[in-house]
Amino acid sequence: MTSDTPARRRARVFFSRRRSAPSRARRRLGAAVRMLAALFLAGGVYTVFTPGAFADDDIQLSAAAREGKALFDTSCITCHGRDGQGVDDRGPSLIGVGSASVEFQVSTGRMPMTRQEAQAEQKAPHFNEEQTKQLAQYIQEIGGGPQIPEGELVEDLKTNPDAIARGGELFRVNCTSCHGFGGGGGALSSGKFAPGLHDATAEQIYAAMLTGPQNMPVFGDNQLTPEQKRQIITYIQEQLQQEKDPGGIFNLGRYGPSTEGMAIFLVGITILVFTALWIAGKS
Amino acid sequence: MKRRKLDLAEAPVTFAKGVDARFTASTPLRGLLNKVFPDHWSFLLGEIALFSFIVLLLSGVFLTLFFDPSMKEVQYDGEYLALKGTWMSAAYESSLNLSFEVRGGLFMRQMHHWAALLFMASIIVHMARIFFTGAFRKPRETNWVIGIVLFLLGFFAGFTGYSLPDDGLSGTGLRIASAIMLTLPVIGTWLSAAIFGGEFPGELIIGRFYIAHVLLIPGGLLALISVHLGLVFAQKHTQWPGPLRTNQNVVGERMFPRYAMKQGGFFMAVFGVIALMAGMFQINPIWLFGPYRAAEVSSASQPDFYVMFMDGLVRLMPNWQIYIPFGDGYSIPPMFWPAVVGLGALFTLPMAYPWLEARKLKDKRIHHLLERPRDNPERVGIGMMAFTFFFIATLSGGNDVIADKFHISLNAMTWAGRIGLLILPPLAYYISVRICLGLQQHDRQVLAHGVETGIIKRLPNGQFIEVHQPLGPVDEHGHPVPLEYAGWVVPKKMNRIGALAPAVKGFFFPVEKPAEAPVSPAVGAPAKREEISSGR
Amino acid sequence: MTAVHHHAGESGTQPVDVHDPHLTRFEIVKEGLRRDDIEIITYESQFHGPNSKAEKRVVRNIAFLFVLSGIASLAFLVFYIAWPWEFELGHTMSDYYTPILGITLGIALLSLGFAILAWAKKLLPHELSIQQRHGGPSPEDEQLITGQTMLYVADELGVQRRPLLKGAIALGMAPLGLAAAAPLVGGLIEDPHKGEHPMMFTTGFHPSNNDGKPVRLTREDGSPIRPEDVSAGGQMTVFPGIPHGATNQHADSPTLLIHLRADDAAKTRENADADPRNKGSMWGNYVAYSKICTHAGCPASLYEQQTNRLLCPCHQSQFLITDNAQPVFGPATRRLPMLPLTVDEEGFFVAASDYRDTVGPDFWERP
Repeated sequence: MTSDTPARRRARVFFSRRRSAPSRARRRLGAAVRMLAALFLAGGVYTVFTPGAFADDDIQLSAAAREGKALFDTSCITCHGRDGQGVDDRGPSLIGVGSASVEFQVSTGRMPMTRQEAQAEQKAPHFNEEQTKQLAQYIQEIGGGPQIPEGELVEDLKTNPDAIARGGELFRVNCTSCHGFGGGGGALSSGKFAPGLHDATAEQIYAAMLTGPQNMPVFGDNQLTPEQKRQIITYIQEQLQQEKDPGGIFNLGRYGPSTEGMAIFLVGITILVFTALWIAGKS
Repeated sequence: MKRRKLDLAEAPVTFAKGVDARFTASTPLRGLLNKVFPDHWSFLLGEIALFSFIVLLLSGVFLTLFFDPSMKEVQYDGEYLALKGTWMSAAYESSLNLSFEVRGGLFMRQMHHWAALLFMASIIVHMARIFFTGAFRKPRETNWVIGIVLFLLGFFAGFTGYSLPDDGLSGTGLRIASAIMLTLPVIGTWLSAAIFGGEFPGELIIGRFYIAHVLLIPGGLLALISVHLGLVFAQKHTQWPGPLRTNQNVVGERMFPRYAMKQGGFFMAVFGVIALMAGMFQINPIWLFGPYRAAEVSSASQPDFYVMFMDGLVRLMPNWQIYIPFGDGYSIPPMFWPAVVGLGALFTLPMAYPWLEARKLKDKRIHHLLERPRDNPERVGIGMMAFTFFFIATLSGGNDVIADKFHISLNAMTWAGRIGLLILPPLAYYISVRICLGLQQHDRQVLAHGVETGIIKRLPNGQFIEVHQPLGPVDEHGHPVPLEYAGWVVPKKMNRIGALAPAVKGFFFPVEKPAEAPVSPAVGAPAKREEISSGR
Repeated sequence: MTAVHHHAGESGTQPVDVHDPHLTRFEIVKEGLRRDDIEIITYESQFHGPNSKAEKRVVRNIAFLFVLSGIASLAFLVFYIAWPWEFELGHTMSDYYTPILGITLGIALLSLGFAILAWAKKLLPHELSIQQRHGGPSPEDEQLITGQTMLYVADELGVQRRPLLKGAIALGMAPLGLAAAAPLVGGLIEDPHKGEHPMMFTTGFHPSNNDGKPVRLTREDGSPIRPEDVSAGGQMTVFPGIPHGATNQHADSPTLLIHLRADDAAKTRENADADPRNKGSMWGNYVAYSKICTHAGCPASLYEQQTNRLLCPCHQSQFLITDNAQPVFGPATRRLPMLPLTVDEEGFFVAASDYRDTVGPDFWERP
């Protein structure tokens, strides 16, 4: 995962990265569906697990986890090994990474990887939502680890209007150095990069903070409490994912002065040079 | 006319006579009205800078009415929810209020910033025009130097303005500026402490930059722009060579009404483009950057584009530190070379260029006629070399954005910049010199043999030749008499000499066509066109 | 190029009597041009005859542009006054306030501009005038006279003859110049080395800021940090636990506290202990480096937890965490200073001492 080959994403992914942010209604609906699924799963897990069911050599898997194991054994086992023990130089052990990690990696399409490169690429997810849940359940049951909590991950600004400003402060202290003030992402060393946050869902952001995928540092619950995580997600979703800035129809990708410099030549100077050509041209 | 009775029709005359009696204005005023200006699109590039400067003054005055240049810590309690309750400097707070709570304030802020970018961009484009056409030659060296000083002043005006809102990005810029001051041998720490009033960032820098940004630098710009224009006026504009045009005259149109109207209209167009851009394109969304905190930074932290070349050079500089084992040990950090020495050289070398070139060519003549770039390949080569250097340095100033958006390794971008900075400028020199020589040769060829007609003729001995349309008279054998090159466009296509309709009509009609193109004997008359086939 | 020497005074046009009542206005203008050494070569209407169809069309278009400019200006005013402009978060009408102002004002100005331009370009007669330049050096005798006059001024003052004055001027004026410069220089100058703990060489973690006691590491809100607050593979930006420790008053103090994984920590400790300055600075698997880049002072805080690199976003210097934060790429020469860590009796992180290296960008006299 840390080889130095330059990363190349397909052009389609590049162009669709920021436009494909789902509408708020769709996101809300998706969140509701996921929450229901999570509740259902949690209920299932609770009934299946009784204390003492953890026996290291003989794990009782829930029905969902058994489905997940089947998926794991066809798609993941090559790199992550039997029972997620990991394979040297191919894939890390998944013991203890938790369902949050699986949900992040699989729902963003980063896993399964197509090839070994500087960093796993975001792409269209290989598994659907249900399969992702099953995989996550399987990994959770074999090794434990951080889980995305239940309940709403975005603060309601009507009842808690301060959340967005607090989230903004936390975002600038902890996140901007890699993901940028505008959340557009940024380059890391040798072809690695911090992805843009424009189409990240609340679950994905939460899971990423909790598990520190790839080169992202871990922000455990002792460092950023679940409430602070929700505030950061609120800031990202209510401020940064609103593509619209009050100062223009085009926000120039929020890449800062480099695109502004391009715009002044491509738009300003170009229009005015053509005007000058017309003024001095012979009619 | 009775006394005390006001004759309205005579009033303007009376008034004008009164003015003249006091100021002796008639003759100079007529001279002004009648002054002849040459007309060419490339002569309007400098005007873009002038007009954006006027927009800058106008919008800047508006901004000062609301901006508070203070670093006092205040708690934000404005309309922008995502910063509510945040501690910030009064400067940042007033910039936010200007954006969100002043009707049209954001629009004015954006106009000011876009006008600043346009000012700097048009200076660069204008400077390229002056350089490549040799307009800096005697007697205009002074104005060339003033132009470069104007760029330098614009650079500092831009940087101080970028720092004023005291947002996260501008604070990062200030931090780097302080680090650059620190690199100066011996006086570095003293200089930084003097400017910041102690250790970075202190509590004074915004107030100090404010007075520099609204008074000292604009004052200097205004004074130098006046001298710049005054010299253009006094020395009269250069012109392209062409029919009737000599080193002793100016061929064009009188200042009033036509030329002045064109200037006025162009001002409105520049103003309009700035307004359009200010409305359509979000620039510098300071509310996303948050207040400046020394611990916070963003990926893709860049200065505005005209400072980017310096940032790029700093990025590309290898980490070569000079240690001086003397006493307690002293050192010169690597950033000193690109940021202090490099910046100095990038401004002083171009300033000296007019004299260097004149010395090399042993040229002491007065030049009012421009030179086509191809006629001085050496200069074009040097210019292209300089611009390639500038361009690579500027690109490297944004190499992290390029690396991220085009999925190239950041380290590879840095190395590409380092190697490119050494290899590409000489390559640009070589290629542009070759292109110039090729164009020169083609001009001479057409003058000697005529324009290619596309008509292939078979000679009695079976040989095929292409018929050429001579541009001038022919000798008794029908061979064209070679014409001398006059420093101006040589028509190279049949439509350029009127034998065919122009290739493209309307807007894209070749604009460089001189008013009176050299008339060839074949123009127009269909009867004479037969000459073409009887060429040889 | 024609070599004809056009000089208005010689080339045919003769002075006319401007009081001649038969003269047209244009003839008077031409007399003015003649006096200004200008000759009009071409001056012809762009249209065939007065009131041609083409002319009417152009006039109509120009009139349309003027009216359009007026309409757009009015629209600007109406929107400026009536559009809901107060900012609200989210997608609201106020988001379009600035774009609408820009577009209406832009259209107003551009159509006014193009109306004027079209008037000048399409309606006014084609004109080609030639004006003679009168640049170049002044006549030789003028140069001589001016030069002699200037020398005579010097003679009149007689400085050459009165050497006492020369010396007196130097002695009198130079101090005055210095006196004028003194307030500026003296007011601005700040000694960066003054005090027992000069600002350039200490940070907020110096015990002198905390009555001589070790300074705690705190979050940006001032709360102290326990080791378990940072997960393995995590990092936290920490500040000195003193009043205003997290503000820009201590801009050199922000520090990155990193909790390394066990194997990385072992490697880091091995390298740190091999270095006299960093020996014993780690605490458990925790290491703290200054966040201020040694190159230009940006926060070098892009922490890559797998490759153990810190990247500075300003100039892309990269530091290897496991090797005393030595620079491995980019323009930085010097490693990031390491903050000696320990834990106090209450279980909170404290700085065992201030940084042992000078924090921040390099300078001439850095020890």
